[in-house]
Amino acid sequence: MEIKIMKNILDRNQNKADEIRNLLTLKKVMMVNIISSPGAGKTTLLERTCEALGAKFRIGVIEGDITTDRDAQRLKKYNIPIVVINTEGGCHLDSHSISKVLDNFDLDNIDILFVENVGNLICPTQFDLGESFKLAIVSTAEGDDKPGKYPMLFREAAAVLLNKIDLIPYTNFKIRNFNSDLRKINSHIPLFEISCTRGDGLAEWYKWIVEQVNSVTHFKHGVPRS
Amino acid sequence: MISFQGNSFREYARKKNMHELKIAEDLSAIVFETAVNNHLSKVTKVNIIFGQMIQIVPDIFEFAFREIARNSIAENAELNIEIVPVEMRCKNCGSIFFVTENRFKCSTCSSTDLDIIHGKELFIKSIEGE
Repeated sequence: MEIKIMKNILDRNQNKADEIRNLLTLKKVMMVNIISSPGAGKTTLLERTCEALGAKFRIGVIEGDITTDRDAQRLKKYNIPIVVINTEGGCHLDSHSISKVLDNFDLDNIDILFVENVGNLICPTQFDLGESFKLAIVSTAEGDDKPGKYPMLFREAAAVLLNKIDLIPYTNFKIRNFNSDLRKINSHIPLFEISCTRGDGLAEWYKWIVEQVNSVTHFKHGVPRS
Repeated sequence: MISFQGNSFREYARKKNMHELKIAEDLSAIVFETAVNNHLSKVTKVNIIFGQMIQIVPDIFEFAFREIARNSIAENAELNIEIVPVEMRCKNCGSIFFVTENRFKCSTCSSTDLDIIHGKELFIKSIEGE
């Protein structure tokens, strides 16, 4: 006999993600799920962003790390709440692991919660964490073919950061190829060409992220943020 | 041919960054639960649907499922994977079309304002058994 089921295999993950999204909406916390390959510059972007926006917004970070807490150590100096999730080999974070650590944050006193997912362009895209949006980071050293090879991420992300543009002269990266692939997949997605080490393009990124957080947390304490 | 004993495949799969394993684990949980609730003593077939945008390698997925189902009522179950292409609806002109070569653009009016109809499925459709 055949028993009809017709349900999402990742239902368990999805239900928990929906729960998290409701909680964060209630608390007016913007959660950003950062997805990239290893070494694309997720942690460096967070360092720059904490320096630029740490005085204006209350930032928290969840660090998904396979075995170490090295990324978290780098962010300690900003005196922000950080929780590390060691996935012990796992290639992605899921909503249950996020849910378990959310209690460690005082959500009433957080505006932006950055989640640094495990470095990987495929698996994390599959698992909704309850985030406000996904952010894709690609570095020029990885080659210009990433959007074409991983279309789902570039379809799902709210913005793309192309990091390490200062290295372009030393690589065969063609920004035209990258752009045309990306535009085929997602014609409207904001693209920020940045260098986290040299500072190029970061002002535009800060402006964009501030716009996003203002739309989420505008009246968090009854006082509009400027 | 690589062969694994006991839990060693799971360890291997985790080290090799396989999300296929996690999805196969969730699938198996649904299969076992449904089988128990319906008093099946044997699961013969598991029908699933994957959208083409979902980046899952069917062979690895099946291998993972086999490892998890070993010594269970689903041990010999056939895994029937149906892959559905990416299909979009244009919000501008209403045309429905398939996406090929990652071209997310209406084939009629060239608009890029689209809704996805199919392609992201990760569904268990049914199980068969006795």
